[in-house]
Amino acid sequence: MIPILDIDGYTLEYRTRAGAVRVLDEVSLQIAPGQVLGLVGESGSGKSSLAWAVMRHLPGNAQELSGAIRLDGEDLRSMGARQLEAVRGRRIGMVFQDPATSLNPTLSLGRQVAEVLARHRGMSAAAAWQAGIEALRHVDLRDPAALMRRYPHEVSGGEKQRVIIATAFACRPELIIFDEPTTALDVITGARILELFRRLREETGVAGLYISHDLALVSRVAERVAVIRRGQVVEQADARRIFRAPTHDYTRALVQAVPRPERRLVTDGPGGPTVLAARGLGVAYGRARLFGGKPVMGARGVDLELRRGEILGVVGESGSGKSTLARAFSGLARFTGAVVFEGRALASPRQMDRAYRRAVQIVFQHPDASLNPRHRVGALLARPLRLYGGAMAELPRLLEQVRLPPDYARRYPHQLSGGEKQRVAIARAFAAKPALVICDEITAPLDVSVQAAVVELLLELRRRHGTAYLFITHDLSLVRQIAHRIAVMRRGELVDLLSVDALGSEAVHPYTRELIAASPTPVG
Amino acid sequence: MTDVVFRLLRTPQGAMGLVILVLIAAICAIGPDIAPVDPEKIDFLGRFRVPGAAHPFGADQLGRDVLSRLLAGARTTVPMAVAATLLGTLSGAVIGTVSAYLGGRWDEAIMRTIDAVMAIPGLLMALLVVNTLGKGSLNATLAIAVAFAPGMARVTRSVSLAARRQDYVSAAIARGEGGAWIVFREMLPNVVAPVVIETTIRVAFAVALFATLSFLGLGAQPPASDWGLMVAEARPFLHQAPWMLVAPGAAIALTAIGFNLLGDGLRDALNPRDER
Repeated sequence: MIPILDIDGYTLEYRTRAGAVRVLDEVSLQIAPGQVLGLVGESGSGKSSLAWAVMRHLPGNAQELSGAIRLDGEDLRSMGARQLEAVRGRRIGMVFQDPATSLNPTLSLGRQVAEVLARHRGMSAAAAWQAGIEALRHVDLRDPAALMRRYPHEVSGGEKQRVIIATAFACRPELIIFDEPTTALDVITGARILELFRRLREETGVAGLYISHDLALVSRVAERVAVIRRGQVVEQADARRIFRAPTHDYTRALVQAVPRPERRLVTDGPGGPTVLAARGLGVAYGRARLFGGKPVMGARGVDLELRRGEILGVVGESGSGKSTLARAFSGLARFTGAVVFEGRALASPRQMDRAYRRAVQIVFQHPDASLNPRHRVGALLARPLRLYGGAMAELPRLLEQVRLPPDYARRYPHQLSGGEKQRVAIARAFAAKPALVICDEITAPLDVSVQAAVVELLLELRRRHGTAYLFITHDLSLVRQIAHRIAVMRRGELVDLLSVDALGSEAVHPYTRELIAASPTPVG
Repeated sequence: MTDVVFRLLRTPQGAMGLVILVLIAAICAIGPDIAPVDPEKIDFLGRFRVPGAAHPFGADQLGRDVLSRLLAGARTTVPMAVAATLLGTLSGAVIGTVSAYLGGRWDEAIMRTIDAVMAIPGLLMALLVVNTLGKGSLNATLAIAVAFAPGMARVTRSVSLAARRQDYVSAAIARGEGGAWIVFREMLPNVVAPVVIETTIRVAFAVALFATLSFLGLGAQPPASDWGLMVAEARPFLHQAPWMLVAPGAAIALTAIGFNLLGDGLRDALNPRDER
């Protein structure tokens, strides 16, 4: 049987000023008809380069040294531009990571769907529009006829991804490439997309290449899994087996790093006085205007308190108000109600004095955005020392505390890897000797193994300084490993606030149960 | 700072621009001393003399040596234009960044004021300022700075709005930093690229604006050999003696090209992400 996709000894290099960088090294993969192959690797492993090599859309400095890419026996590498146009979208579909950027914001959804159908299936405009409505209905979108006339910003991220999936499947391709299709979505939406993907696969029998950094997720959607590291496929096996009995050291490390709720990393309980509390905290976005709607409530009526050394996990889907809570606590958003700190009730960000700012620190999700790209690491870390008092001589110790060499002080953020940047952000928070650090999805942009190291670092810092954490995340498995209590948020309201042991009990809110069901747990 | 210069020299545009500007700076410094003839020496027999051995760039309507006048005029032309541009663009950049940082009603108030100022054409604005403050080179410099600031403020504000939404600004606010630190150390360094490019383009405009003011009798006065003034004076004799116009025109163009190349080079050199 001829495989649908046959990559044979493919080697790819990028020419850069520093010389040639090998991104793919003798990669050989086969996907049989109707089979889904999962490709797992960390960032920089070359997995996206492979997807673009199959799509024949490589950057100008790419150099293909050897190997062949065959689609149903035909060599894609020898095809000209005209022939490729007939392959892309028609015979190979692609679903991208971020639905927000893969749809054109200036065209209605209908035009974008109908255009693809008209182009690849030779339909007239009217027929393509009708087929588009059918395609959208098929991916469980409500009222598809109205949806066709909407623009991308008028629908949610999950709906956008469904539109893209509908378009990809509507051309009845032989192969669909999924490039991390659920990474940009929250847990519940992502789980529903995966369900949809499973159903469509069963109906159409399409072959798939599913790229992800999440081993647990891939092992649930793919039959076979290939693990790629620095451009080399280190292990390729059946999805169930790779999780239970990984043979390669790297795969074993990846499996180890996947957070498992039953493996607790924190053993001691919280103790001591309350560090920070919220009393009826609410945040409204936008001012009430003379004409126009009411302000949007980002959060309302939130009551919670944090003790010294406590880790409080905050979970919920996107838009549930998790980050709004962080913005209120760090004085970035105006709020109603009160924040109680050291026995004083603060009613507005203006009342947050230097002592409060020092005691409550925040680490943001993306270190690329939260570290000023024009400042060196040394300058970034020196700032809290100068603001809250502290000797410059502490700088090397701060870096050493987050396990970075002292000479990193002279570097710029872009010269560091993602994990190192997040360590710098953590070091900056701890330079203030805080009582509470708000972690706003800080592990989300990191690879699984880096994520495990960052979490371990946070726990060690907590042991040393007795710091409390408000740990905001969408990763329920991770938060069950480390948190003492878990707060579940939904549409700006706190629906559940319970001890981590009580999660499995009957008393939990139905929404919490839905969240637990949706979070990807490894098979086996 | 030294590594910025080093990186600047490694980009071809930066090195080229720097060479041109060093040359022009040297002329500004020692130009009058190396001029072959006294730039104000009138020679009635040598009026409109064609470029040749005696006068490499020819002679003007009063028989003055064009090359000598060019060399002597650099000192009044280039430093003034650069000063006016720097003053205008820097103040504009600060206003734009402050406006973006404050946001809300303050932003609205500042930008509407800027709009009102921008409604008056730049030249008219400059004339107004010179007329109010009185004639003279210093006042002309100020006038051009005032005319340049609003446009620069608009450009900077649009870039700063993007920087304002970045988490590093949020982090600074959460840390309890003051407004001055956030504007000057967090935001301004990240909007420097468009500011530098605008500045270098505007140097050439400033030379032209100076010439216009001089032409109207409000900037440099004859017999000064300001390059803009030289162009203005050569205008009636364009068909008779084109070299009178070509020489100062080429000097202005060379200055503009030098600054533009330097701007391109600086934009890359100031970006720490650029590893070249």
